[in-house]
Amino acid sequence: MKKRGNFLFIEKNDDIYTLSMTPEMQDDIGTVGFVEYLDGDTLNVDDAILNLEAAKTVLELASPIAGKIVGRNEAAISEPALLNSAKTEENWVVKLTDVDEAAFNKLEEA
Amino acid sequence: MDQEARLDYLIDYLLNENPNTKEQMMQYKTNTVEEKITLFWGLCNIRKPDPVRGEFTEVQDAFLTQWNNERHVTTLHDLEAAGPQLYLWQGDITSLAVDAIVNAANSEMLGCTQANHHCIDNIIHTRSGVQLRLDCDVLIKEQGRKEPIGKAKITKAYNLPANYVIHTVGPFINQRGVSPLKEQLLASSYYSCLALADENQLGSLAFCCISTGEFNFPNQRAAEIAIQTVKKYIRNTGSKLHIIFNVFKDEDLKIYQSILTQRE
Repeated sequence: MKKRGNFLFIEKNDDIYTLSMTPEMQDDIGTVGFVEYLDGDTLNVDDAILNLEAAKTVLELASPIAGKIVGRNEAAISEPALLNSAKTEENWVVKLTDVDEAAFNKLEEA
Repeated sequence: MDQEARLDYLIDYLLNENPNTKEQMMQYKTNTVEEKITLFWGLCNIRKPDPVRGEFTEVQDAFLTQWNNERHVTTLHDLEAAGPQLYLWQGDITSLAVDAIVNAANSEMLGCTQANHHCIDNIIHTRSGVQLRLDCDVLIKEQGRKEPIGKAKITKAYNLPANYVIHTVGPFINQRGVSPLKEQLLASSYYSCLALADENQLGSLAFCCISTGEFNFPNQRAAEIAIQTVKKYIRNTGSKLHIIFNVFKDEDLKIYQSILTQRE
C-alpha cells in the first residue's frame, strides 16, 4: 500500500514503511548536490529527517508520519543525485517501524 | 566626531582590516559625505563575519544611530489598521520602530555580500551594523548546516529602530514556476516567523514581501499566501500579535490593498 504526505511517498511492506521522493518533489528541487541526515531515530509528524541542498534550495525534508528510523539511504550521502532517480530502491529516504497503522491509513492515497 | 569624521574612521578601519578590499573598492570616490556613505556601505557588505576591534563598534553605532534617525521613523501608532491586528504600510522596513522586522534572507544567512546591492537583506544588515552578521554567523555555526527554506531565526536588531530581526529564507522560483511545494514553503516562512515572534513574546511584527524580490515569487500569489497564512495563524492560535504587511513597491501596495479590503 502506498500513500503520500509532505511531498513524499510512504510505502508499507509488512511492518516496514519506506519514505521516498515523489516526482513532484524531484522536479521542484532539481539535482540534489548535498544530503545530510539528522541524528536521532525517533520521528514525530513533521520532524526533520534530512537537509538537502540543490541549486538555490536548502530544504529540510519533514516526516509525514511518526515512527522509528531503522534504515537511512546511506548511498545518497556520497551520491546525492540518487534522490533524483526514478527508482524507489535508489530515491528512498528512510525506513520506519513502529508506525501507527491508523495514522498511515489516514494519509492521502498516492 | 561628526558624521563625516566617523565615516572616515570607519572606512579607514575597514580598508585596513583586509588588504584585498583596497583594490576591490578602488573605483569608489570619497569626495562627498554621500560618496563616503556608499563606500562604507559596500565595505560592510563584503566584510567577513570576523570580530571587530577597538573603537569600531562605538563609532559605527554612533554613525548608524544618527543616520537611521535622520529619516522619519514610523511606529505602530502611526499606522491605520487594515483589519483586526493587521496593518499595511509602504516604505523602508528599516525605518519601522516595531518589535521585530522580517528579513528575507538566503540559506547562507549571513546577509547580502554584494557591495551596495539593493535588496532588503543588504539594507537591513547595513543599517543594523556589522554585529548582525556576527550574530547570524554564530547561529548558523551552532546549527552546523545551512538554513533551510521556510524556517525562522531571531537576532537583535542592533542600530535599527526595531528591537529584533527575524530572518527567514523563502522559496526561490526558477523557470519551472510556482508549485504546491513552493507555495507551502512560502506559507511555512510566514508561519515560522509568527510562531517565533510569539515564542519571544513580541507585540508587533512587520513582514516584508518574502520571496518576491530576488527570489521571483509572483507578487499576487505571494500576497495571497502571506495574508491567508497570517489570518489563519491568528485565528488558530489566538495570537495577540500586531502584524504589519510592509510593502516597498507600488505594485505590492495595490495588491495588498485589494486583498485586505475583500470580504471573507
